[in-house]
Order: sequence, then C-alpha cells, then structure tokens
Amino acid sequence: MKPPPFAYAAPRSVADATALLRASDGDAKLLAGGQSLLPLLAMRLARPSLLVDLGRIADLDYVREDDGMIAIGAMTTKTAVERSALIRTRQPLLHDATRLIGHPQIRNRGTVGGSMAQADPAAEYPAVAVALGATLRLAGERGERSVDAAAFFPSPFTTALEPSEILTEIRVPMRAAGSGWSVLEIARRHGDFALAGAVVMLGIESGRIASARIVLFGVAPVPVRVSAGEAALLGESPGRPAFEHAAACARDAVSEPLSDPHASAAYRCHLAGVLVGRGLAEAAARAEGSS
Amino acid sequence: MTSPFSDEKPSSAARRIRMTVNGVAVEAVAEPRTTLVDFLRGDLGLGGTHVGCEHGVCGACTILLEGRTVRACLMLAVQADGARLTTIEGLGRDGVLHPIQQAFVDEHGLQCGFCTPGFLLSVHELLEQNPDPSDEEIRDFLGGHLCRCTGYKTILRSVRLAARRLRETKAAVAAHAEASS
Amino acid sequence: MTGGIPKTIADLPTSKARYIGERVPRVEDQMLVSGRAEFIDNATLPGMLHGAILRSPFAHARIVRIDTSRARALPGVFAVVTGEDARATTAPLGTIPDGWGVHCLAVDKARFVGEPVAAVAATSRALAEDALEQIDVEYEPLPAVVDAFEALKPGAPLLLEEKGSNVVLHKQFRWGDVDAAFRDADRVVREKLRWNRLGANPMETFGVIAQWDPSEATLTCRGSYQTQGYMALGISAVLQIPAHKVRVISHPHGGSFGGKGGMRGTCIAAMLSRQADGRPVKWIEDRMEYLVGGAGQAWDRHYEAALALRSDGRFTGLHVTLLDDLGGTPEGAGAISAAKPLASFTGCYTIPVAAYDLTLVLTNKLPTGPYRGMGPPPHNWVLEHLVDTAARELGIDPGEIRRRNFIAKDRFPYEIATGNEYDSGDYEAALDRVLEMSDYRRLREEQAQARAEGRLVGIGLVSTIEPGVFDWNAYAIVGVPMTGVPEGATVSIDLFGKIVVKVGFSLEGQGQYTVAAQLLADYFGVELGDVRVVAQDSLSAPPHFGPGGSRLGVALTGAVLGAAERVKAKLVRAAAHLLQADPGVVVLRDGRLEVPGVPGAEMTVAQVAAVMLTRSDLLPPDLEPSPEATCVWTAPGRTPADADGRAKSYLTAANACHIVRVEIDAETGQVTIDGYWIADDCGVRLNPANVEGMIQGGVAQGVGAALLEEYVYDADGQPLTSTFADYLLPTISDVPIPETAAIVTPSPFTPLGAKGVGEGAMHTTPAAVLCAINDALAPLGVQATETPASPHRLWKLLESARSHAKSNR
Ligand SMILES: Cc1cc2nc3c(=O)[nH]c(=O)nc-3n(C[C@H](O)[C@H](O)[C@H](O)COP(=O)(O)OP(=O)(O)OC[C@H]3O[C@@H](n4cnc5c(N)ncnc54)[C@H](O)[C@@H]3O)c2cc1C
Ligand code: FES
Ligand code: FES
Repeated sequence: MKPPPFAYAAPRSVADATALLRASDGDAKLLAGGQSLLPLLAMRLARPSLLVDLGRIADLDYVREDDGMIAIGAMTTKTAVERSALIRTRQPLLHDATRLIGHPQIRNRGTVGGSMAQADPAAEYPAVAVALGATLRLAGERGERSVDAAAFFPSPFTTALEPSEILTEIRVPMRAAGSGWSVLEIARRHGDFALAGAVVMLGIESGRIASARIVLFGVAPVPVRVSAGEAALLGESPGRPAFEHAAACARDAVSEPLSDPHASAAYRCHLAGVLVGRGLAEAAARAEGSS
Repeated sequence: MTSPFSDEKPSSAARRIRMTVNGVAVEAVAEPRTTLVDFLRGDLGLGGTHVGCEHGVCGACTILLEGRTVRACLMLAVQADGARLTTIEGLGRDGVLHPIQQAFVDEHGLQCGFCTPGFLLSVHELLEQNPDPSDEEIRDFLGGHLCRCTGYKTILRSVRLAARRLRETKAAVAAHAEASS
Repeated sequence: MTGGIPKTIADLPTSKARYIGERVPRVEDQMLVSGRAEFIDNATLPGMLHGAILRSPFAHARIVRIDTSRARALPGVFAVVTGEDARATTAPLGTIPDGWGVHCLAVDKARFVGEPVAAVAATSRALAEDALEQIDVEYEPLPAVVDAFEALKPGAPLLLEEKGSNVVLHKQFRWGDVDAAFRDADRVVREKLRWNRLGANPMETFGVIAQWDPSEATLTCRGSYQTQGYMALGISAVLQIPAHKVRVISHPHGGSFGGKGGMRGTCIAAMLSRQADGRPVKWIEDRMEYLVGGAGQAWDRHYEAALALRSDGRFTGLHVTLLDDLGGTPEGAGAISAAKPLASFTGCYTIPVAAYDLTLVLTNKLPTGPYRGMGPPPHNWVLEHLVDTAARELGIDPGEIRRRNFIAKDRFPYEIATGNEYDSGDYEAALDRVLEMSDYRRLREEQAQARAEGRLVGIGLVSTIEPGVFDWNAYAIVGVPMTGVPEGATVSIDLFGKIVVKVGFSLEGQGQYTVAAQLLADYFGVELGDVRVVAQDSLSAPPHFGPGGSRLGVALTGAVLGAAERVKAKLVRAAAHLLQADPGVVVLRDGRLEVPGVPGAEMTVAQVAAVMLTRSDLLPPDLEPSPEATCVWTAPGRTPADADGRAKSYLTAANACHIVRVEIDAETGQVTIDGYWIADDCGVRLNPANVEGMIQGGVAQGVGAALLEEYVYDADGQPLTSTFADYLLPTISDVPIPETAAIVTPSPFTPLGAKGVGEGAMHTTPAAVLCAINDALAPLGVQATETPASPHRLWKLLESARSHAKSNR
C-alpha cells in the first residue's frame, strides 16, 4: 500500500496555489490535512500528477468573529474548532458536531475545508453547513466567489469547486437567542462514519415553534433537508405529536437512500426518523433552557 | 513551522527535508510519496512507530507532531519538513522508562506490544491536556487505537495509574518548590 | 516425560515460591514499551529487496496470459515470478485433508479474489508496487460459487475440476445410540444457526525476509512465524528443499491468534530471492492484503442442531449438522476447526450420546484458517443456544438447567461421548460464584421490571469448556495422521549462577518468557532478572511447536521444569563429589546444594556451576561437566484416534461461567452490554495477571464475534470488507470490563496443575452475549440466529416481530 509517484509543491499563498492548479494538466489535487486523501493515495485510488500542499499557506488557519458571523479558515483543524471558545459559546452545534468526527488524532490534522471539499455523504460538516446556512468562500483564477452551502454539495464526493478553485473560508451564523440544536448519529462504533445522522435546529417563541431546520447525513448521497418536516413543525407546540410527524417526514425524505453491508436503505431511513425524533426533543429542551 | 527546504516549485524528485525528532535535528532526502511513518522507520531507523493498517484506522503509527498526536501513515514526510516530532524512542531515555511506560508495565497494559507505542503517545497527549481524566474521557481519547490482545481493561488501568503518578509527582515538585522558596 | 517434574508449586526446591503463582510484571515488557522489539518489519539485511504481490481481482477466472516484460524492464526491479515459475519449481501447498493443494501462485486459474498471481522484487516496496501495475494479465472470468449450499449442488462451478466435486469431506459420526436417544426423548429442541466468517486480525500482519543461498542451496526465512519448526517442514515440502536446508527464524510478533499464516508469502518471497540470485527479499503483508488474501478468515458455518431432553431437563443426546465453507482451498487448515469441537463436543454436560454430520465444502472465497479457539466458539454457541431454548420451553431457569446436567465434580477424569477425557473441574462452583457475584436474582427482578416498561433487557448465562494442550490426534477425523506435540527447553547456568533458557518460539504476547523466568527463578533461588529467555531458530532450538491450542504455558512449564530437574541432578552429583558426600543426601533448596543437618556442607548453585564450567578435572569422569540440560515435554498418554475420531486428545479442560446483561435499543437495534461477570477455572494460575489478560483479550474478541466482526462477500465473490473501516474490530468503547473471579481446580495431569487458557473467553463470550440478546428478544417471539448480531440484523428481527404482532391483533 504505497502511494503512486506524484509531484509535490508547497506554495506560500492562495494565489500561488491557484496558479499551480491552473498550470497543471487538470489532475492536480490539493492536500489539506490528508486524513481522507492519504488513504486514497495509499490504496492508489487517487492518482494525482501533482499534490499542492496548502499546509504552508500562513493565513488559512483562523476562527474569528467577522461581520456578525463566525469566519473559519479552510485550513483550521477540527481540534482548533473543538477548542474555540467562540464556536462553543456562539455556535454550539458546530462544536458538538466536531466531537463526533473520527478521533482526536484525526481531528488534530483534518481540516474544516478538507471535510467540506471531500463531501463524504456520511460526514457531519456538510450537513451542519447546510443546516446553518453557511457560506463557503472560494478563490480561483477569476478571483473570489461565495457559494451557499445548500448549493455546494451537488453529488457525493463532488462539490461546486471548479478544478482550479480553492475553498478558503467557511462562514457560519451565530446561534439565535431562544434556539436549540442537536446533532445525533448512529455509527457501528464510536468514531466511525455515521450510518445515519440528523442535524436539527429549532427556534421556539412563546411556546410555539417559530423556525425549524432538519438535515440528514449518512442516509443519502448528499445532505438532505427535510423540508416537509420543517414546514409541518412551524406554529406547532413542541412535543411528541409534532416531533413524530416530522420524524415520519424524515423517513420519507430520502429518494435514493444509501445501502451497504452495514445498513440497508430501509434501515437507514428508519434510523433517520428515529434520530430526527430524538434530535427534536433534545433541541426543544435546549431552546427552552436557553430562553 | 518553517520549512527551510520545502520547494514551492512542483517536483516529483526526492527532496531534502529537515526536522527535529526526539530532540535531535535530522536531515534526509525523501520522495514526495514517502509517508512519514515509512520515513521514520526506513530512513531514520526509528522502528518503534508501528504500521498496522496504513489507512488511518488502527492508531499503531501514532506520534507527536508539535506535541499533538497524529497518525504518521496519514502524513507525507515532506509535510513534516521543519516540524518537531516525538516518537516512542523519545519517550523514555537510556533504559529509564517514562512514567506512562512504567505504568503500562506495572498494570500489564500490553501483550504483544505492537499497538503499545501508539497508545503511549496518545496517553501522553491526553494527560498533558487532562491530568485527571475520567474513564469516559480516557475511552473517548483512545477510541481510535485498536488493540487486538488486551481487551483494553489493563490499558484503562495503566492510564489511571500513570495519571495518578504524574499528578503525585507534580504535586511533590510543587510542594518542594514552595518549601524551598 | 513427567517423571520427576514437580506436581505442585509446593514441590519446587524453594522454601517459598517468590514468583510462580504471583502477578509479576513481565520480563518482555521493557523492550516492548520502548519500541525496541525487532518485529520483522524492523529488520533489514544488506542488499535487501522488497516484494509485492499481484492478486486476482476475480473470484474465479482462467488466467489466459501473463506478460511481465514491462515490469521486468523497470529500473530497480530484480525479479518477477508467476504461476509458471511456481509450477516449475514448487509443489502444491499442503492441505488438510491431504491432496487438494494448489500452487502458491495461481497456475491456470484463480479461485478467489486476492489469490496471488504474480510477484515482484524491487529496491523499494513502492517501486515493486509500481511494477505490479506494469504486469498485464488476461483473465477469462468463470462463474463463481460463493454460497456453500450452492457449491454442493450438481452442476455448480468446480474449484478443482479434477476432483469432480466441491465437497472436500462428508462424514457422519454416531457416538452411541443417538437414534434411540432422540426417539425416546420427552422433547427435542432444534435450531438452524449461521455463524459468519470472521477472523484473527492481529495488529501486525504477516511478514518475512527470505534469503536463498545459491552456493549452498539453503534457505533462511525470518518472519513473524507462530510455529517456526512446523512452518519449516511445510516450506521444505513446497519448495522441495530438504528440511535441514531450511532455517526459519521467528521474530517477535504483534499477536497471532492462529491467524498469522505466511506459507504462500514465504514461498513467494523465497522464489523471488532465488531469482534475484540470493538477495534477501522482504515481503510485508499490508492490511488490505491481510483482509482479502491473508490468514485472517475463519468459521464460515451453517449449523442445524438438536438436543434431546427428558421432561426434567436432563439432556440425553446432541446432534449437530455442520456445513463448513472452507473457501477456495483447504490450505489454511480450516478443516481442523471443524474437528476440534470433538474435544469438548458436549460441553460441561453429561450428554451420553452425540452425532455429528460434517460437510466441508469449497467456494470461491479466501481459504479459511485457524482463529483463537479453533472451532469450538461457534460450536459452543450452538450448544448453549439449544440449552437456553430447552430451558425456556421447559420453564426452567438457565442456570438451573445447566446445573442439572453438569458433570459432577467427583466424576473426573470424565470421558465424554466423543472420546476426549476432561481432567478435572467443578462447574457448579463456578456457576454458584458467578450467580453470587452478579446478584443474579436481582438481575432477574430488574429485568422483569424493565420488560414491564417495554425495554429489551436480556441476561445471558453460559458455561463452557476450553480444551487445553492440544494434540494432533484431535483432528484425526479430517485426516491429520499425527499424534504428539513436543515442546523443548534447554536450561543452562553460567559462571555467576545466572540462567539462560533456550526455546523454539518468539514473543507473541502471551507472556510465556515471563513464566519460564518465574519457574527458573524460584527453582534455582535467583531473581527474576537473573533469568534470560533466548529464542533459537528452527535448526538450533530443541524440538518445539510453539504457541497454539492453548498449550504453551503448560508445555513450557513441563519442559523448563524437566530441564531444571536434569540440571539439578548434575549439580547434585557434582556438589556431592566436591563436598565428599553421598549424592543421595545432597539436596537443592533456595539456590544452595546442601547436606541437611551437616553444618558447612553446602555450596551455592553458582559455585557448583562455576566448578563444572572451569574445572571438570575435579569432577567424576562420568559426569558431563556442563550445568545445562534439555527436556522435551509432550502430553502424556495421547494415543491415535479410533475410526470415529475418539481419542484422549486435549490434556486439560478449563471451565468458565459467564453472565452478561444487555439492553437492546428497541428503535435502533443497537446492543449495549451493561453488566458482565466471569468465574473462570483454569487450574493453578502460574501468573494470574497473564491469565486475566488472556481472559479479557478473549472477551474482546468474543464481543467482536457477537456484535461486530464479519467478512462480507457479494454474489460475485467480491470482498466488501477490505479495510479496517469495514471489518470492525472492537474498540475501547465496545469492550465491557467484567468482574472476575478465579476458581482453582488443579489439573492432575499437568506440571503444577495449570490448564491451558490461551484462547480464554473466546470460548464463552460469543455464546454469552448472543444468549443474552436472545433472552432479551424472547418475549417478542424472535431469536437472533446469525452472527454478528448487528444493529441492522436486530432491527430486522424487531420489525418482523412488530409486524407479526400487528397481523395477530
Ligand atoms: C479513521 C478515520 C475516521 C474518520 N471519521 C470521520 C467522521 O466520522 N466524520 C467525518 O466527517 N470525517 C471523518 N474522517 C475524515 C476526516 O474528517 C478528514 O479529515 C476529512 O474528511 C478531510 O479533511 P482533510 O483536511 O484531512 O482533507 P484532505 O484529506 O487533505 O483532503 C480531502 C479532499 O478535499 C480536498 N481539499 C482539501 N482542502 C481543500 C480546500 N481548501 N479547497 C479545495 N479542496 C480541498 C482535497 O483535494 C481532497 O480531495 C475520518 C478519517 C479517518 C482516517
Ligand atoms: S498504521 Fe496508521 S493508523 Fe494504522
Ligand atoms: S498488545 Fe497486542 S495489539 Fe495491543
């Protein structure tokens, strides 16, 4: 299991990196934390002609408050996210989701940008980004552009990134007062990729559900928003009947469920329903606790 | 970390890299495709970092990079250019075991010993961050290390013992410093 | 030889044993925790090349053509071998039963995904893998047979055409009048059970450095060999080199559990070295190779079994039908695993008659091999499942029904229906202990309450035998012709009274070097650190087998103590001569040779040894003046099996009783183990910490078997579990930490009364966890009958129970 030969470059700026991508024959690859890419190289499933290492670019590693949002540099490690007081206090959903990713040793290297760009159907971050309405900033030959998370994950393991573009920053809103959150998943073992997962956010005003967001991961090729469930919750009082209905919507929300030796499509859809039900209860309790 | 040699120009040729491993500055040549674990084992002769899977799941290859645990099979050697690394060979010195190693011996925290160096380095990071971890915190931190022999019971005990001894040492040192000031 | 070997710890020549029987830290560990052990991948030889193996991507395919020219032309490539070379220079691999072997590199056709097809040696592993990509193989895919039942059908694709059938063995055994037992039974419980493939997966895979010496036509193989001497014989047969020209050197290795394998890899590396004009060739199996093509798959089994009972719960007969899927060839000794259950076929129970209908069949999957327990773990699950079913049907508590059928403690040695003899035991004591530890009555009360709340809580209680100290005769029914397994040790004392003991096996994890050091330190009255254990290669070591079949602890004790007795005899004669005393009055005690009652008539062991080593002229001429002796220990009283496989085979019978409490999440099918209690009787514990380690390691592997581990193939024979992300080993969060107790019923047959325990709880935990799950499911009227009880499988069962309940409403 040794990687095939490739060329390597470690540019010092985003501009240099995009220039390298542009100059390459199209099968160059970016290297961030390597926690997804290195196994693919070792198995020779990835065969880039050139690896462009983002690790020497100084200004892609940060978590800061910017214009009322939390801005996270693409090369920020998951450990840095996990330890960020800003994220823990102002967007605890992201904090909790981070702790579900792999193990500390993976989080010490794996980056936020890498997880978004990898777009693994079972990954937590893409679903969290969709649920939060995050914005992804991309740098390319025509300068910078921003893409909504909802439009960033068109199909599994692919993104809206152009071949010579680099994801530079993820911007997430802060938690609204009076809102609750939950991220739950079921995996075969602690730290494994999820068989099914659900991200839930609930805003409760005067005892009624004022906003709802439900996004599933691990069950479908891309993160799935349970729009019917969200709509049905609005105006309801938080409680079992409303949550069970939303859970049923979640079970039906997936048009092409994934299936593998660990979990069939039917089982995954069932789990999605269970997790949404549990997640809504947890989110509601948190919303009530915080308001 | 600054990288004195790493080339900004793309090349598949082997390149010269420099790093500090277990406190010793080393310089060697590595092909871009050489993983850090193969580099440590093959080029630097540090065979204590073991290879159990080469795809990031078993934890046998765990080392410290700038004090943090990483999987040396999931890094290229060139990525570590300029870095400060610690491997199992740097934990105890000259036959004197680090308290974490000693605790594993005392509590029978190993059988074949193949997974052990990786565990020891993760325990090192854990106890630096959290000198008095609960069993749940220990499990959480070591969940990415597979051991096929022990069934983990004695590993858990070893970590508890190491934590206790390190805390006691620290307290004794602090008391001594106070007394002598 | 057992004559003269101390029977109990009190018989050792010391006034107080300081080490043996104590939880002493292991002598192996300093090196291991420092990362200094020379695992095979840490070894390098001058001029060494690195091998890589090209493997079949098809489960069944004719190899039409192989073109290696592009690979050969790559700079840095020194050798390329294919099936043609194997055909020309090697014999087919040995198999059990005999005569089904193929070559180490596929000749003409490939029979499973991952079968070696060609190999390269180059200056680096990366380069060798680059070269593999330059080998062109033209395959003609053939229909594959993946399911064992399909493989039995006429017209199924054949693995070995010349055999005319995929059935390797089909035999029916009747030990006693089984028909009458079932005819006369008050009740018969039956079940079909499926145990899926799983396997050893030691954290270190197999690795080898093979070096061919063209001048002497000899071969040296260094590697992670579990049983070096035995491997040497196999290598000699396959490579057709006389055995005395093959040297096998076992390096410390990162676990084995039976699943190290290495025959194909060794032979391929040797062929490469020979073609590379004698440059050493290292081949390290990578994890994906191990998972799809290594020695890590075992026990792919379809069972149908029945237990005959009286209405009072007494068992009167057991009938087990096993269809065992051996995969592509019987080269991995998977067949042995189907024979070993005979050593404890009827478990802890007095079941007077038994039947076994055994079919071994080939399919287009990886050949199965040994794994910890070697066959009884699935068999024990089958038996214990039937026992639980019987208890449920008769309304008897699972503990009580077992108690009624236990072999009573005064009936040992006890011969079971299949012919093996259990040495000793007290199964009720273990049961009582574990009932008390777990507060079983309270557990049942809590369960009743949980059930009333609609929760799925289950309690598993099982009691099993671990046959220990194997003998080849146990495997006679699958065609193993041998009897007797030796283990030798050479003990020598140096000028300073320090001790070296030479053995024929390397470190594997069980701590046997520590046991040897404990024994000798107490025997000769020295410190633990004064004893050094040294591994010798297959040509220099005394006759040996090494670890396997839960035997080495016992066998090594026999060999070491036997050798110590012989050294003592020499020391006594020398000392008597020097002290001018009669040898009959000189005794060894606490490191001194003395004449009791005669003040001053004493010498230390070191003094006597020093005289022997330097002044043989002072000694009697007929006394060989070296303070050194060898003993080769073999289990006494083993005789070849009769035509039905009956034999005294395994020397010891350890016993364990486990209670497990689980809860199943009714919505998701996830299982949580939230209570675990063990009482274990493996006789005298030479190092209790080692024993507990074996037990807990077995618990972990047992939990893996019950809940997580499974090799999955698709309908075309493609493996779907080829990484550690898909083949799921238990992590620190998955393994419970049981409360444990030791019951000690010494073996009357072994040195110091110890019993084999190396395979440990692997015999018990899978059954215990699965029985607990089925106890939880029982009120719903469904049962888990397939391993592992994954959340997905349990959810499907729960769904079927729910829809059944609905339709009945
Ligand atoms: C044992 C194990 C368990 C894991 N468990 C989980 C889990 O439970 N959940 C989970 O989500 N992940 C899990 N992962 C994956 C891990 O989170 C990875 O870190 C992550 O998927 C990729 O991040 P990275 O920085 O390592 O990216 P890399 O591996 O370096 O890159 C991944 C991909 O993204 C591209 N890329 C990286 N950065 C950028 C960028 N800035 N712009 C454009 N493209 C870019 C790369 O070219 C590559 O194609 C696990 C990994 C392992 C080894
Ligand atoms: S060898 Fe690196 S994680 Fe297994
Ligand atoms: S001690 Fe052998 S794998 Fe952990």
